[in-house]
Amino acid sequence: MNQEKFWVLLSKKLSGEASGIELKELEILILEHPEWQYAIQNLEDLWKQQPPADYAGEEDAYLLHLHRLNEMNIPFGDTPVFTPVMDNKRRARRWYWPAAAVVLALAGFMLLNSQRSSGEKNLVAKQDNEVSTRRGSKSRVQLPDGTVVLLNAGSKLTYNKDFGKELREVTLTGEGFFEVQKNKDKPFIIHTSSINIKVLGTVFNVKAYPEDKRTETSLIRGSIEVTMKNRPNDKIILLPSEKLVVENNTVINKVIDRKESGVEIPEVSVSPVMSINKLNYSPVDSTVAEAAWINNKLVFRDESFAELTNRMERWYDVDIEITDPVLQEKRLSGIFEKETIDQALEALKISLPFRYEQQENKIIIHR
Amino acid sequence: MPENDQIKRLLSAVSLNDDQGAYRELFILLHSRLKQFAYSILKSTEEAEELVSDVFIRIWQKRDQLLSIESPLLYFYTTTKNLALNRLKKQKKQLHLSFEDWLVHMNSIYFDPEKLMLTEEMMRQIKKAVNELPPRCRLIFKLIKEDGLKYREVAELLHLSVKTIEAQMAIALRRLGKCMHIELKTPLPARLLVKK
Repeated sequence: MNQEKFWVLLSKKLSGEASGIELKELEILILEHPEWQYAIQNLEDLWKQQPPADYAGEEDAYLLHLHRLNEMNIPFGDTPVFTPVMDNKRRARRWYWPAAAVVLALAGFMLLNSQRSSGEKNLVAKQDNEVSTRRGSKSRVQLPDGTVVLLNAGSKLTYNKDFGKELREVTLTGEGFFEVQKNKDKPFIIHTSSINIKVLGTVFNVKAYPEDKRTETSLIRGSIEVTMKNRPNDKIILLPSEKLVVENNTVINKVIDRKESGVEIPEVSVSPVMSINKLNYSPVDSTVAEAAWINNKLVFRDESFAELTNRMERWYDVDIEITDPVLQEKRLSGIFEKETIDQALEALKISLPFRYEQQENKIIIHR
Repeated sequence: MPENDQIKRLLSAVSLNDDQGAYRELFILLHSRLKQFAYSILKSTEEAEELVSDVFIRIWQKRDQLLSIESPLLYFYTTTKNLALNRLKKQKKQLHLSFEDWLVHMNSIYFDPEKLMLTEEMMRQIKKAVNELPPRCRLIFKLIKEDGLKYREVAELLHLSVKTIEAQMAIALRRLGKCMHIELKTPLPARLLVKK
């Protein structure tokens, strides 16, 4: 019995399929059977061995493949085909529209660049490229330097045509998951309404919706440096698996005050409340709750009902109002994956008794 | 799963920018694995080569739909399997092909004597053990160890349960492990005692 279990666990470990609990279990089994140690060591080594790759053979195969493409008259290479995506209803859903927007934005960017290089510099004003997602949809953006940004619903990413020349600077409103290409010479800087994030090359998630109470920066790999907009000299270095939470309200209110009253408020009076927390790893598959949205999951851990409904508004493209202040502060945990808005609300009603009515795109929640 | 991420990144470059460099990179990354997989079904090198090319033609033609693929590696294997089975059907060669009939070659039981603490005899035993694995077991072992698919993905590809994959992997590992078993009471060969 132990033996069977042992081989199942060891093969899972080698294949990278074992959970934390299974690894512990395996450790205990190994301690009980020192005579297996030698085989384990060798199997682990054997697992890592890869035969030398045959790159020349692959190159030849690729040339043959290109030859076939050519023979079959499939447009490739010199005659790139740009297919308009207007007429197909199916494509208008989810990814395709934003994707088209990205293609257009990138095409625009390339056009600007080519004009500049042909000496027509002055014709082009310093212009921003903007990629945005509507509520209920997401998008994947690849920046000219190879950095990939996944934009969550109701978000906007802008960068100007100088992107990548000396600095790599973007502005984010909303939520984005960044996989930044390494380039030590050109730091990548993200501006949000309350913080600036400087990175060299790493993977992280930034959540900075203006309507949310907090701006959250969750670091998955690498390291990043965060500064508050109004305290540029204080730098906060985040380590992997850490999350920086900045309370927005103080910052945003002051900024608005300043604009409306026209009175300059001394910098010192604005000090956003911030804290560094650990990321929420799932005990089952070690995924990170903060980045679960990129896998089409709406994960919430100990969030207030009001915060959750803010996220649901963007996720489902609806407006939600909670009339009762006590209800707004109730705390909830859970995951929505394939649920419709109705199923989600019904599920929430199980742990939190409430009534709701729906008027077209608006949902009103009562006690 | 860093490799799946890499494939996703390349696919998105192909999809969004018609990036030919990324398309080439994808081909080089996956060609040999997919060819071996196609070969196990078609049993002809020429046909396997052509089939992989067909898979990549399809990728290029459908590049505007690539962004929604959740498990890219699995997508390549499923497409390869389906195209290969279709091809067989057209040739009316075999209508009911089970994995028992698939010809699976293992190629990465590769020994670098510098790195492994094994005797010649053990290496011979291991190679023999791999070749003697039942076809289904060998196929699963290859897809996971060499091709880098996850248990869940292999289960989906072969229409088996994840539990079956677990059990088959355990069988494969146990058989290999048996070849390396040594009695602790007997003294080890001298070079085996030298740990890196």
